[in-house]
Amino acid sequence: MSHQLPAIIFLLPLFAAISMPVVCLKNRHWSHPISVGTLVVMVLVSIINLYNVIHHGEIRYVFSGWSVPLGIEWVADGLASVILVLLSALALLGVVFSRTTSPKALGGRIVHYYTLVLLLISALTGIAFARDLFNLFVFLEVAAISSYALIGVAGGRALFAAFRYLVLGTLGASLYLLGVSYLYAVSGTLNMSDLAERLPLLLHSKALVGGLLFMFIGLGIKMALVPFHAWMPEAYTYAPDSVSPILASLVTKVALLAWIRIMYWVLNATIIINEIPILVMVAVLGALAAVIGATLALAQREIKMMFAYGGISHIGIILIGISQGNQTGFAGGVFYLLNDAVMQAALFFLAGVAYCQFGVRTVDDLGRIGKQAPWLIGFLVVVALGMIGLPPTGGFFGKWYIILGALEAGNYVSVAAVVVSTLLTLAYFVRLFEAIFRRGTTPMEVQVVEIPVSSKLTLGITSAAIIILGLFSAPIIQLLLDQAMPPRL
Amino acid sequence: MVEAFVAVFQRPNFLTFVIIFLWGFYIMVTRFNLVKKLIGMYLMQTSVIFFLVSISAKKGATIPVLLSTTEPVKAVNYANPLPHVLTLTAIVVGVATLGVGLALCAAIYRKYGSLDEQDILEKLK
Repeated sequence: MSHQLPAIIFLLPLFAAISMPVVCLKNRHWSHPISVGTLVVMVLVSIINLYNVIHHGEIRYVFSGWSVPLGIEWVADGLASVILVLLSALALLGVVFSRTTSPKALGGRIVHYYTLVLLLISALTGIAFARDLFNLFVFLEVAAISSYALIGVAGGRALFAAFRYLVLGTLGASLYLLGVSYLYAVSGTLNMSDLAERLPLLLHSKALVGGLLFMFIGLGIKMALVPFHAWMPEAYTYAPDSVSPILASLVTKVALLAWIRIMYWVLNATIIINEIPILVMVAVLGALAAVIGATLALAQREIKMMFAYGGISHIGIILIGISQGNQTGFAGGVFYLLNDAVMQAALFFLAGVAYCQFGVRTVDDLGRIGKQAPWLIGFLVVVALGMIGLPPTGGFFGKWYIILGALEAGNYVSVAAVVVSTLLTLAYFVRLFEAIFRRGTTPMEVQVVEIPVSSKLTLGITSAAIIILGLFSAPIIQLLLDQAMPPRL
Repeated sequence: MVEAFVAVFQRPNFLTFVIIFLWGFYIMVTRFNLVKKLIGMYLMQTSVIFFLVSISAKKGATIPVLLSTTEPVKAVNYANPLPHVLTLTAIVVGVATLGVGLALCAAIYRKYGSLDEQDILEKLK
């Protein structure tokens, strides 16, 4: 039974998504309990899967009995299993959160919303498991198409942002597919481990360099790496408040996971192709993203826009971590990825509550809620500590291990980039708190609104998770070092 | 220089692919009309599909169905079937993307009364 777990995890949200429009045709209010139930089961199954992988080793799942180089292979290894627990848990929180905001904000399209979210989750599961380059492309596209539709689901200004995302995202997907066909033309295989065996003999090939370049540019567009990030802030800012936490915390991170897979599982990342050292290149890209993203965040007036740019800078920090070429840096990068997903979810939950309950969209208006909702400010302080990276939170330990890895590799530019990005993050959160605690702001005239329990619950859980990830960072890092390392690191 | 040109013209399929891809990209970047942008995007996707099909072609090969079950299989005699399968999937993905794109266009037109990017950007301000 346990060897079927990857397929079960994938099929749960997929079947729920497919049956949703039929089941909820007459009874729209059923869609919420069905999605919550599905995702609760999915969280449990992913935890069982993680336990199973830790104790019995990775599961290699081959579809319909075709053996490996010919058939499509899924592997549930340590990295994928850890990411899946995170993915399903955050998706569950996002769906629970959407209870309060959705009927008003989604323009009545509740069934569409839940169907698309479940479809998105199943596609992201597929990306985490896939060990076949073309299979990865298909799931990247399913995830992307559901995100375009999710962003535009409520109409309004988000439509135009979703259209831009669609055009750029499709450009990225076409480039990725082009890269895959180059690699297939050179090597004659699509399976990642098979390709990894054949590549060392093909290093002189120009088609290999071109194909890898196209693939990395395509994935860079999908994960909002800095020169290609233009679609991301608008799309996440204007998306409905119940959509942006799920997108911001999961989609770009899972695309980053695909990048990590290709960098370490297909390529041996330490090799130098045609005098291009891949690790140095990725470290430079990461440093640029970390600094530029945080600088742009400092210049924003809208809260969600600021948080979206913060997410861009964190993608850069994760890339710095995984590009150090040693185990400490890699574990730190993956640990920071987990933290960043939780923090982005918490930030966009906060932004959603601030808009839905208090009507606040910009940083300057934040002062109006300071007195009204001290608990909201409390959650914001915890998330801010995590984003800046101060000790009791997971963000600190993630950055700590990334810097340790960079020092181990003697890569001082990376250390400087992480420190500069941290200072800039500190700067924009200081700006946020300055707006909240500024004196002389007129108190809000709106009557006190009752905050729904589900909002408090999701905010509480994500804030607690940020601190728990920090307190238990040592065992988690040890787990990543034992289970989630690439084969040749 | 001459050798490079000769090499390019010996592979007209690659040349065609590059021309269609860049043409689509050019339309996507320069046109303000959203539907034209989608047309450019679809051209670009189609060019990649064309590339995939063209790398699987062989001179003198036939469709990948075994001619005889008794003789040993010679791979030279058959076209490579795998890129065609990938192509089918890529076409489906492209159609789905185009469908979502057109739906977004229709919604944008209903809301802003225009499909011109500059008009819409002005109305957004």
